[in-house]
Amino acid sequence: MYEYARMKFYCDENRCIECNACTIACAEAHELPVGINRRKVITLNEGIEGKEFSTSIACMHCTDAPCSQVCPVECFYIREDGIVLHDKDKCIGCGYCLYACPFGAPQFPKDGAFGIRGKMDKCTLCAGGPLPTNSIEEFELYGQNRIAEGKVPMCAAVCSTNALIVGDADSVAEIIRARNAAKGKGTSSPYGWDIAYK
Amino acid sequence: MTNHLGDIQNSKAIIIFGANPAVNHPVGFKHILKAKERNNAILIVIDPRFTKTAAKADLYANIRQGTDIPFMYGMLHLIFKHGWHDPEFIKNRVFGMDHVIEEAKKWTPEKVEDVTGVSADLLYKITKAYATNKPGTLLWAMGLTQHTIGSSNTRMAPILQLALGNMGKFGGGCNILRGHDNVQGATDMCCLSHTLPGYYGLSEGSWKYFAHNWGVDFNWLQNRFADKKWMHTKGFSLAKWWQGVLQEEKIYSSSPIRALWIQGNGITSIAQQVKVQQALDKLDLIVIAEPFVNEAAVLTNKKDNVYILPTASQFECEGSVTATNRSAQWRSKVVDPLYESKTDEEILFLFAKQFGFYDELVRGMMMGVKDGKAVKVKNSFKWPEDATREIARIIKTIGLTGWTPERLKKHQQNWHMFDEVTLKGIGPMKGEYYGLPWPCWTETHPGSPVLYNIDIPVNEGGMGFRARFGVEYKGENLLAGDRATIKNAKVKGGYPELTKDNIEKVLGIKLSSKEKEIMGKNWKVDLSGLIAKYALKAGIAPYGNAKARAYVWTFPDKIPLHREPLHTPRFDLAKKYPTYSDKKNHYRVDTKYISIQQKDYSKEFPIMLVTGRLVMYSGAGVIERNSKYLVQLSPEMYADINPELAYKYNIKDGDMIWIHSPEGAKIKVKARFTYSVAPDRIFLPFHFAGVMQGKDLSENYPEGLVPYAIGESANTVTNYGYDIVTQIPETKAGLVRIEKA
Repeated sequence: MYEYARMKFYCDENRCIECNACTIACAEAHELPVGINRRKVITLNEGIEGKEFSTSIACMHCTDAPCSQVCPVECFYIREDGIVLHDKDKCIGCGYCLYACPFGAPQFPKDGAFGIRGKMDKCTLCAGGPLPTNSIEEFELYGQNRIAEGKVPMCAAVCSTNALIVGDADSVAEIIRARNAAKGKGTSSPYGWDIAYK
Repeated sequence: MTNHLGDIQNSKAIIIFGANPAVNHPVGFKHILKAKERNNAILIVIDPRFTKTAAKADLYANIRQGTDIPFMYGMLHLIFKHGWHDPEFIKNRVFGMDHVIEEAKKWTPEKVEDVTGVSADLLYKITKAYATNKPGTLLWAMGLTQHTIGSSNTRMAPILQLALGNMGKFGGGCNILRGHDNVQGATDMCCLSHTLPGYYGLSEGSWKYFAHNWGVDFNWLQNRFADKKWMHTKGFSLAKWWQGVLQEEKIYSSSPIRALWIQGNGITSIAQQVKVQQALDKLDLIVIAEPFVNEAAVLTNKKDNVYILPTASQFECEGSVTATNRSAQWRSKVVDPLYESKTDEEILFLFAKQFGFYDELVRGMMMGVKDGKAVKVKNSFKWPEDATREIARIIKTIGLTGWTPERLKKHQQNWHMFDEVTLKGIGPMKGEYYGLPWPCWTETHPGSPVLYNIDIPVNEGGMGFRARFGVEYKGENLLAGDRATIKNAKVKGGYPELTKDNIEKVLGIKLSSKEKEIMGKNWKVDLSGLIAKYALKAGIAPYGNAKARAYVWTFPDKIPLHREPLHTPRFDLAKKYPTYSDKKNHYRVDTKYISIQQKDYSKEFPIMLVTGRLVMYSGAGVIERNSKYLVQLSPEMYADINPELAYKYNIKDGDMIWIHSPEGAKIKVKARFTYSVAPDRIFLPFHFAGVMQGKDLSENYPEGLVPYAIGESANTVTNYGYDIVTQIPETKAGLVRIEKA
């Protein structure tokens, strides 16, 4: 039976070195305002031997997305491939989604006289939004739509150590499985998937 | 690098001294992570700070700055004691190791612990792990070089590798990480003051070789100098050029420095910024040719005679660059230079025209070789292809003969046909290594991915150590032993570098009289290419096959010796391991050593100063501080400080602090709490500029060009101290005092 793909992120913390290439590439690609961090690199226990590690976090595009469940105006929609998107024209900036999200993904611009929140912004997995695909309006509100162009999301495309992987959940699992299976087996120079994601 | 980044995947052990590739070479670091993952390689990090690289290490030693030599002698002590060394390799390929063995005997683990601060237990663990897992590779960067004993440090590390037989091996070698794009190329072309391009010296013979190749009269070249003796004298160095202006220490030059031309160098990346500022103020003229506003224009209080020429970035020009592993890479132009900016070469051509030597400057690009002589072969040139051809024609010393623009472009177009671990090409690129890593002896040679590897034939990139220093020293043979025969070579064991006089004898061939006529005096100046041709035919490298020297009779220290930094927290050890006597005329300036060290600074300045890079910035940060997204990640200058140290001074996280140097300079920065520095030291990133000793210099920027982030430069407080051979500043060891602002 044909299974629909479900798009997922995975970050291998054995490989993440907190270089922040993902954060910067995301901000540059979507021309985000300074202060909006669709993707962040988190480091825990900095400077403590044996305990320091880093990982890259953005919207994880949950299967049963809590943000979508709490939104009072139902601005969220989940694509068939599992990418969680929202409609900024419906969003009222209430911030409920931020409280519901376990990853701190929703971002709010905080300017204006009383520091009121603007419309929510978050990682789109480089899949744009509800406006016409690759239109200027879509770019201005949601950033690039790389998925529509058949491209890998920007963050994973630039990851310097290939710690951050994105794609159909089965493919992501396959890459990680192959990586784990190769552990300790010695250096080799295979081709195919491995060239791009090793 | 003797090897290359991908080759690190072949290592079983990786030891890193004074380098932080996770931050400074994030993409290259992937190969280290993959060596760990796939090859079970052990990663060992020796650093005065718990870096991002250390966070990925299996073993980490928190060393006191400037004590790498005792640490490595401690390793050698254990290596020789337990028989972990490679006696066969040492016998056949190393000269003078017995002197090292004697010195290593003195460095017992307990003594090493006292000097370096690394426990005897940990030293044993690290040594055993590194020595018994082969091949092992050794990496370093500025943490090893920027010391008064930097040149000794960089000899000590290869000695450690030689003792273990790790040189010239896949997965072994000394891998020195270059800090920026094309730094290796800049070094090879000698954008420095002590040699000609390609490491040719300043002797008359070298100058004449270049004069011939440039198609200019030697006397004309000589007359460009104030006196012919300056032609053969090293110039001022980047580290202390400012004394050429200020003359506070005695200088030896035909004139003090009056004008400064800056093209591609962050002025705040060198020590003694207060002095640099004074020197800039005193200059008659400052010209800056860069894409962004170099801080030299900001640091100075000069209001007149400061010119900024907008210059193209790398995306607006074309040509070859050299990577950290000696590979060349062709780079294409993406867009034409924007607005009124010009490319580097165009600015220099215009300069030469104005000063009346344009024809002489470009003639070399219109020349070729006929019958072993450089002659003019055409009346115009094409940039940058003909510049690349000129380099290939002249530079024999490091074997750039094979770097023709056609080959380099072909490699660029076929990136996907090279393997990342071996650099070997497949398909149409079969038989070549990516980027033709030098030496690439001829136009058909594949390049040499791993230096000094005698296990592969020369025509596949093999070679011995260069026979650079004669065939014997005090009756001892300097050439490699019989067991060090290069694979498939017709000449057994060691042999001298090839010259016109010895080539027939060494190779057992007979040259025709025509060949003799057109052949150059030796392989370094043989434009005919015959020496390289016959050498490769016999399966040997033209530069000889000798022993590597652990003992160097021409250096201030014949074998590397520990000497305390000029400003040491262990004044008691400075008595035991004193620095050098003051040195006269060191790159044209008198330079102080013992006269600084004899004073005890450790009471008044009790805290060690560590400086280094951040992942989002490079060099002086001139480019990156103009990117709002990069600046957002690290928007202001700060000092990393351990909470334990901070509370002693009543400093809280985020407080402003003053940092004072023994030279009387001070900077005001924000304290950032972290456990990555021990409580006896602080860390400063060195990418900031635009604030000087508490004073904001924003108004010195041209209108609208203040970067998103400005801050105090760490190099305002790095201490006085310069390497005894190279004069690199001692920015990686020093003392400071801190107080709450």
